[in-house]
Order: sequence, then C-alpha cells, then structure tokens
Amino acid sequence: MKPILLQGHERSITQVKYNREGDLIFSSSKDNIPNVWYSLNGERLGSYNGHNGAVWSLDVNWDTTKVLTGSADNTCKLWDCETGKNIYSIETRTGVRTCSFSFSGRILAVSTDKTMGLPCELQFYDALDPQQLRQSKPFLSIPVEGSKITTALWGPFEEYMITGHETGEMRQYDTKTGEQVLEIKEHSKQINDLQGSKDLTMIVSASKDSTAKLFDTSTLDHLKTYKTERNVNSASISPIRDHVVLGGGQEAMEVTTTSTRIGKFDARFFSLVFEEEFARVKGHFGPINTVVFHPDGKSYASGAEDGFIRVHYFDPNYFDFDFEI
Amino acid sequence: MPSLESESKGISWAEQVEAGDEGLPPSSEDFDEKNGIKTITEYKYNEDNKLVKMVKTYKVETRKVSKSIARRKNWKKYGLAERDPPGPNSANTIISEEINMQFINSRDQQPEKEEDPLAKLKSQKIVQCRICKGDHWTTKCPYKDTLAPLQEHLTEDASKKAPGEGGAGPAPGAPSAAPKIGGKYVPPSLRDGANKGRGETMAQGRKDEAATIRVTNLSEETRETDLQELFRPFGPISRIYLAKDKLTGQSKGFAFINFHRREDAARAIAGVSGFGYDHLILSVEWAKPSGNQ
Repeated sequence: MKPILLQGHERSITQVKYNREGDLIFSSSKDNIPNVWYSLNGERLGSYNGHNGAVWSLDVNWDTTKVLTGSADNTCKLWDCETGKNIYSIETRTGVRTCSFSFSGRILAVSTDKTMGLPCELQFYDALDPQQLRQSKPFLSIPVEGSKITTALWGPFEEYMITGHETGEMRQYDTKTGEQVLEIKEHSKQINDLQGSKDLTMIVSASKDSTAKLFDTSTLDHLKTYKTERNVNSASISPIRDHVVLGGGQEAMEVTTTSTRIGKFDARFFSLVFEEEFARVKGHFGPINTVVFHPDGKSYASGAEDGFIRVHYFDPNYFDFDFEI
Repeated sequence: MPSLESESKGISWAEQVEAGDEGLPPSSEDFDEKNGIKTITEYKYNEDNKLVKMVKTYKVETRKVSKSIARRKNWKKYGLAERDPPGPNSANTIISEEINMQFINSRDQQPEKEEDPLAKLKSQKIVQCRICKGDHWTTKCPYKDTLAPLQEHLTEDASKKAPGEGGAGPAPGAPSAAPKIGGKYVPPSLRDGANKGRGETMAQGRKDEAATIRVTNLSEETRETDLQELFRPFGPISRIYLAKDKLTGQSKGFAFINFHRREDAARAIAGVSGFGYDHLILSVEWAKPSGNQ
C-alpha cells in the first residue's frame, strides 16, 4: 500500500478521528490548530484557528455539522464544521483533556486536568442550551476523586461515561446522577486511549504498561490482553474483522537517543480473539499517539509524535489473511 | 477531489503565480477523459533563475457516494487551507513510498527467535570451562575457587606419572592436540613430541600466508561455496575467507584463499586471474602479509 502522508501539523499529533461516514479525518496536535482532511485523497479541507494551547482532544458529531476541540488553554471550543467558524468557547478552570459529543450530539462531555490545586472534573453541557455554553455552566459536573481522567468514552444509550485514568483505573459514571457506577483496575499504568467496537459491546484500552486490553462495555469484565514491549498509546478495533490495531512505541523523551529500528514505532495488528500479533506496518519515525480504523474497516489512520498522519488503505492481502486454527 | 466546476470558477493558484512572473510560457491542462488522467504542465523560475517545467499528473476518479458526503465534497476550504487550489496541496499531502504489511506467523516464528541463539550455543559448545567442563567461561565457573587449585594438582600429577599417554587425561594445556591422536593423520610438525616451543606454530602461520591468494572484483552475490568450487581444481584449500558486509551478509567483493601448497596457489593465480566470473573479471594475486601477524 501507498500511505497518504498528511503534513499539516507542526507538533506531535494528539488525536485523529473519522466522522461517522468516514469521508473526513479530523486531527488535533500539540500545535494550536486542529485540521480536517478528506480521507480519500488526503486533501486538506480546512483548519480551526483560535486555540492558544495544545489541543488534546477533538470530536465531531454524528451528522458532521459541528466539531468540538479541547485544549490546554483552558477552553473547549465548538466549531461549525463547514465554515471553520468558532460558535462557542467554553471556559474551564484547568486544561481540557478530553471532550466528546454524545451519540445524538446533544450533550457535550468535557473532562479537565487536575492542576494548580484544582480537581479533575467531568462536565456535561447541553448543546441546545446556549446559556450553558456561553456562561460555561455545565448542567452536571462530577468531581473526579483520585487520579485524573486521561481518556473518556460514551457508553451505550448515553447512560454512562467510561473513563480511563492516569493510574490505570477505569470507571463508569452515570450521566444522569453523576454517580460512580463501577471501578476496575486492570492496568498498572496510565490508560492512554479507550475505543469501542462498532456496536459498542466491547471496548479496548491502551495503556502505558505496554498492554492493550479488551473489556465488556457494560460490566467492564476483562476479556483479552494484547501484549507488546513498549507503551501502547492507542488501540482500535476493526469494524469488519476480528482485528485490533495497536499504536505506540517507546516514550517520546527517549526517542532521540535510539534509532528508529529499536523504537518499535510500527502499527501492530493483533487477532481480537487469539491475542496474537499477525502483522506490522512501518512508517512513522516517532511513537504513534493515535490510531483509528476507518468506519468501513478498509483503511486506517495513524498520527504520531513525529507530527505526521498516515492514512493507509489496506492491500487485498490483508483481506485475504485468515488465521490458521 | 472536488468536482471540476469549482475549479473553473476562481483563479487557480497556478494562474496567480503566472500573473506575477512575466514571460513564462502559459501553463496547459490536458484531460484524458477515457483514462481519467489529468496532466497539468506549468512553468516557473527556480532559485537559480532557471526556467523549470513541472508536469503534474492526476488520476481523476468518479465514485458514487451518499448525498451528505457529496455535499461535503463541495465545501469551500477554510482556515489555513483557504487559499489552497482545488485538489490536494502538495505541501500538505504527500503520497509516500510503497510499504508492505509485514505478516508475522507468530506461532511458528516467535518461540524460535527467542530460543535460537541459546540452542545454537548448546549444540556447538562454543564455550567450555577449563575447570569443570561446563558451558561457561572459566572465569565464571561456580567451582572456580574450590576446584581450580585441585585441578592444578591433578594435572601436575598426571604429567609426572604418565608423560607419554597424552589422550588419557585431558590436560588443560593442550586440549586440541588430544583428540588428534586417535585415527586422523597429524603432520609431524603438529605431533605431540614436536610441540616443544612456539617457534613451530609461528612458522606454520607464515607458511599459510605464503600460500594465500587474494581474489578481488568479486560480485556481491558470491558465496564461499562458489569460491570453493572455483578454486578446488587447483589443489587442497585450507581456508576461505570471504569479506562480507556485517548487516546485509553480502560479499564486499574480495576474498582470501589459503592453499596447502604454494605451487597450487601459484597455479590458481595463473589460471583464474582475468577469468570472467558473474559478469566481472576477477583479479587474483598473492596476498600481502598482513601487518598484525
């Protein structure tokens, strides 16, 4: 395959996301400008200018009309996807680590960093109530005890939010009452990413403890473990096959002292069921920070510490591949 | 790839450049509808003020997509991409070189990979402890302190009692000489009795060098076996050294061949020098004595 290189960021990529139909790729990076691209040919559609800090997280709603970005400049901004204009800017007391739309696009979930003596908070805003957005007053704010949230994912029917934490815990928070429903600790180090399967019955976590693990979404039962030798920064489940792709590599601060061959910056494909690695894709020269499958499962995109996004369309041999049992 | 309509509307980036620089040949656009290949030819001056012709070839594909995607295809660019021409901007979008997905058969390979070096060591017994005959270096022997003095006593006793026996008690000083006693032919110079001083072995080394030839201009594909085939007709060969690249394992293009007899080496030089091998002409000469011996 010939990957398409998207070179629109000046610093490391923090998150890459496809919209629901998969024709657009949204990317955020530690420079202040998130971008949007056509996934088919890698053409840049535009960028969202206005943040003053690293953009940690972004999301797009289901009909691709609005984009939400969360930044370290203590704001979370809502954008019009077609024109790139800023609609609302929600101000928070600390940097925004994660932000996401609910499935209907009505509720915005925002989590903030635990810094400057302020606690980590999980906030919910009603996108249809301009008052809340303008005055930055969430209808529900959950103070998070213990370590801060590093990644968050909406549960089925918007009933709860699944969060991954800095010390390896995973929790479920009820989005109506704000109560903590469940807590597990299967990882020993920070959870970097949580992504769901297409039907959201399973979620895969990527952790700094060099494993990715598969969980049942509703009970958070631990199902499978995918082991590597390096940090896992992101993991994604294929929507069409029983595959998981893991992105990672050694810690960014150690990269300059070693060669790319040792760094293990490959995207690694595992069997969802057998927990076995079956393929690798090289290309990045920094640790992969984020990987995500296209909604049709025929391509995937990865963003790395090197500032590049690579969009890979699978060759026929990927689809021919079958596990020998 | 936005539709062609939007392209014809605004001033394209190519035309803007052209307006600034006068005297450039006009850029042209050629669209081959049959194959869907669009060719754009542009001219510009480079940093050295030289006229450069740039030919860009695009493949135009028509795909059927849902209405919402089609609508998004026609969105105007904004933000940093506002001034980009239609189609991918080569400053941001690069098609990288071909890479392949590397399939791994983990069930077969991984355990092998891990065990391989160890297994090799076990079978070959590269390292043998002189004290306890175990698979480790003598200095790392766990019995070093307890057994070593004892061993010395034993060897002293053995040499006193039976100086002629040789093979019976493995004397640590000359382990290599011991097995040769049984069966194989051993040249007189190497026999036990003759092995008095170091002078002999030095002479041996010099003799070897005297019958060594250097072969150069070998192709990269050459292997030791090829050389063996090539030089065996001239006489018995004692050693072949083919210089290889550490990483790729490919030949570096030269080799040393040690013959047992100097006459054979001389005949090999006469015979193979100038011989065409693997589309290259070999050059063979006497090896110069290396400096460190």
